[in-house]
Amino acid sequence: MTAVLEASIVEQLVAAIAPVLGEANVLTSKTARYSRARVPAPFPVHRWAERVPDLVVLPGSTEEVAHVVRVANEFGVPIVPRDGGTGLTDGAVPERRGIVVDVKRMNLIHEIDLENRTATVGVGISMLKLNEVLAQHGLIYPDNPASYPCSLVGGRIGTSGWSLIGSRYGHSRDLVLSFDMVTPTGDIIFVGDGGGRKISKSSSGYQLKHLFMGHQGTLGIATTATLKLYPKAEAEFSAFWAFDDYDVAYKAVGALARAGIATFAGAVLFDEKKVEYLRRDDEAYIPQPESVKALVCSVGYGNSDEVAAGGRRMMRIARDLGARYMGDEISQGDWASRHDRYATPVHGRTLSGQVALMSWHCEDAAINYTDLPAVTREWHAIVEKLRRKHDVFDDWGMFAYTSSDTGVDYLTEIDIGIWEEKLDDTTWAAFVDAKREIAAVSLKYGGSISACHGSCREGEVDLVPQELGGGYDVMLAVKRALDPNNIMNPGKYGLDRAYDNEGDRR
Amino acid sequence: MSEHHAHGTEPSSIELLPIELLPIDTAQASSDFVDEWRNAAYNCYSSGHKFCREVCPVMQVTRNETWTPTAFHANVVAMDKGELDIADIAEDYVNCTQCGACELRCPNTLMLGDFYRFRTRTVDLVKAVRTLAVDTGIHQPQWKTWNELTDARSHEPVLGEQPVGQDSVREWADGLDIPIGGDDILFVDCEAAFYRTSVPRAVAQILQMAGHEFGLMQEQWCCGGPAAEMGYRDQAMRFARHNLDNWKASGAKRILVLDPHDYISFTEDYPKYFGAEFDLEIVLVLEVVAEYIRSGALTPRVAIEKTITYHDPCRLNKRKGVWKEPREILRSIPGLTFNDVDHVTQWSYCSGGGGGLAIEKPELTALISGARIKKASELSVDTLVSACPWSERPLSAAGEPENIDVVDIHEMLAESLGITVGGSRGAR
Repeated sequence: MTAVLEASIVEQLVAAIAPVLGEANVLTSKTARYSRARVPAPFPVHRWAERVPDLVVLPGSTEEVAHVVRVANEFGVPIVPRDGGTGLTDGAVPERRGIVVDVKRMNLIHEIDLENRTATVGVGISMLKLNEVLAQHGLIYPDNPASYPCSLVGGRIGTSGWSLIGSRYGHSRDLVLSFDMVTPTGDIIFVGDGGGRKISKSSSGYQLKHLFMGHQGTLGIATTATLKLYPKAEAEFSAFWAFDDYDVAYKAVGALARAGIATFAGAVLFDEKKVEYLRRDDEAYIPQPESVKALVCSVGYGNSDEVAAGGRRMMRIARDLGARYMGDEISQGDWASRHDRYATPVHGRTLSGQVALMSWHCEDAAINYTDLPAVTREWHAIVEKLRRKHDVFDDWGMFAYTSSDTGVDYLTEIDIGIWEEKLDDTTWAAFVDAKREIAAVSLKYGGSISACHGSCREGEVDLVPQELGGGYDVMLAVKRALDPNNIMNPGKYGLDRAYDNEGDRR
Repeated sequence: MSEHHAHGTEPSSIELLPIELLPIDTAQASSDFVDEWRNAAYNCYSSGHKFCREVCPVMQVTRNETWTPTAFHANVVAMDKGELDIADIAEDYVNCTQCGACELRCPNTLMLGDFYRFRTRTVDLVKAVRTLAVDTGIHQPQWKTWNELTDARSHEPVLGEQPVGQDSVREWADGLDIPIGGDDILFVDCEAAFYRTSVPRAVAQILQMAGHEFGLMQEQWCCGGPAAEMGYRDQAMRFARHNLDNWKASGAKRILVLDPHDYISFTEDYPKYFGAEFDLEIVLVLEVVAEYIRSGALTPRVAIEKTITYHDPCRLNKRKGVWKEPREILRSIPGLTFNDVDHVTQWSYCSGGGGGLAIEKPELTALISGARIKKASELSVDTLVSACPWSERPLSAAGEPENIDVVDIHEMLAESLGITVGGSRGAR
């Protein structure tokens, strides 16, 4: 555990930063710091104080961010970017305390280019708020994570986010054309194809955009981004189908994803445990007969005529495989409420069936279609073993979402209810072990530890070098080159080992 | 009644009237508070969605995560774990208008409210923290003064230095020939009674035109709601007691309410204070008037050639689900071009005037009302119609530079009914 900074150092940091950012934007109160110590990923409550930052700053411009980073370098103090703080791999958690750079004030829309279909924004804006403005022009920025109502563009860059409708529109890495970013030494660089912000494909020089997306704040802080815009869809098709068994549902989701329907935006497979979980008290599923064991949802977006044709084809594919359409009310309602229902604390149950307020933990992976059934079985077995041993965990079932328009791979997730309030050191250690086992299964089947969240947390992070092969050494070299003092979000991804203990000045 | 509530007596100095400081044990009070709120706080903390954030009016203009409903709940967990105490957190809870948007947007409310009766209650939490602060001797300076003056004058000091009190609380009704007492009592909030007197004048004359018999209170005090919102619960209860006794003494059966804030006080606070003893019917004037229009008892005929949009007052739309009737009324007025914004989109709108924010942090209220006016401005309207007197002062101030007039829905309806309203749309 990192010790808190001495008060005199904090005072010096404030004195160095406040003249540039303004006193109102340098926060030292306990509440300001405690409220930026967490993300939604569960962590033992009794250890909350370990990760409370020493200082919070709210910069309003790229230059102000650069100033803060330069000050942090001068003092050798860790710096942690915080955008929405909605991530699930602790990217925004100040594990070594230091300065949290909260970018939410940088939420201006700088430009909407109607001809080239781009928007240039401060990274502190949420997609929801941006889309409220874009809707006036008939446009949309279709980056749509489960945290759509509150996650921010900058966090999507830092985590290389995954989008629910990415099979149609691509994911954050496809939708973000370019961005300004402040490097760990306080330099301001431009990242993207071409020199003018709005190029979607170039072959000139190293392709740095992927490097500077998904680094979980270890390589710098994005500040201004240029985004690719689409016409706001005229029509939406969303259908939910019920199946008597998982195997048929699995076949159906594969068939839908492989059908080559241009308006296809994604398909989701709910396994038996997930249906069981939703039955606990979800009004939509309680009336469904017990024979319903698995569900598939498929959605399409686009122009009305194209969506209608694509929808008819999807209905036919599902019906031919024995699917039962669940009706318009569930189909439209469940899809519309998709962002809201991914975690409901009172759905938590102990082994005896007692309701317990549980946090939601979602362990994700990228898995090829052909390996989904095996991974599903093995993951459930790991969680079942965990919950039999410690009655503070619960299996909330699994989803598999298409990641692309061909159905090659899926974001696979197992949702685990965790009675966070009761987590002690023993149960936390057991959970970390289970996460490591889950990640090991993903690698065994040739997948990635994460399609969506990142893999920084205790447990799975141990296996990242294995997943990346020699690439992990390149990660270390890049980190060392760009962040000589190891001040940028230290402690993440095991990157301390890039420094032989020399660079970690805390 | 305490002696300083004598009619029309202005205290020579507020220093003579210290706010009550109860001899309370901070540790015990904090522990009771945590016991009451622990589960609700964990319900938010453990889900961690933060969907409330972008609908919160304060968060939208400050972008400060310290002042979000999520943080407000998490602080309780931190108190439970001994990490924070009431002195650490009290000041942050100023930053809330108690609009209720966060409660509506909370997935726990959406998915669980009906099933478990466990909807998110951030507004009540904010009130509870403010009450704990006051009870343990932690005061916000402007709120303290405001409540001392209210206590001294029996009404809120909405005119600043200019006195308000019993001798002038019915002046707004001059010339309208409204009796005292009766089955139906029209209750007029402090802002409308002393500041925007055109609103109660419009309401009274609309009701008179419809043939609705009503009277005024013998001795009306502030509803006590603002004191409750700022944490001065004992004072709020004393004021409520006075009003209830006064209603009972005059044999009132129904209380007609024109102000959404009063509507909350009378339908939520008073029943909690008095239980079964509180057996009066509380009627929102807007709903009565909409019914008169439906039945043909009132027919607006004077065309009003304006381009308007409607501001859903938070306490009507977000907290009481009243959004149809105002639109019905506006659509009955000839001549209007009505550029409406649906009531769900307006979950994220607010005037910034509620929850005492305008008293302690007027600069935040100005930012919030400015943002609201900007939304109206994008619709190319010349008039923003509201139905809440407390919203109309900050919105008018923000509307002036944008050339957007702020009109109360009752004022506009009265005009279309051919009524000469009179009164003032601002300070007298």
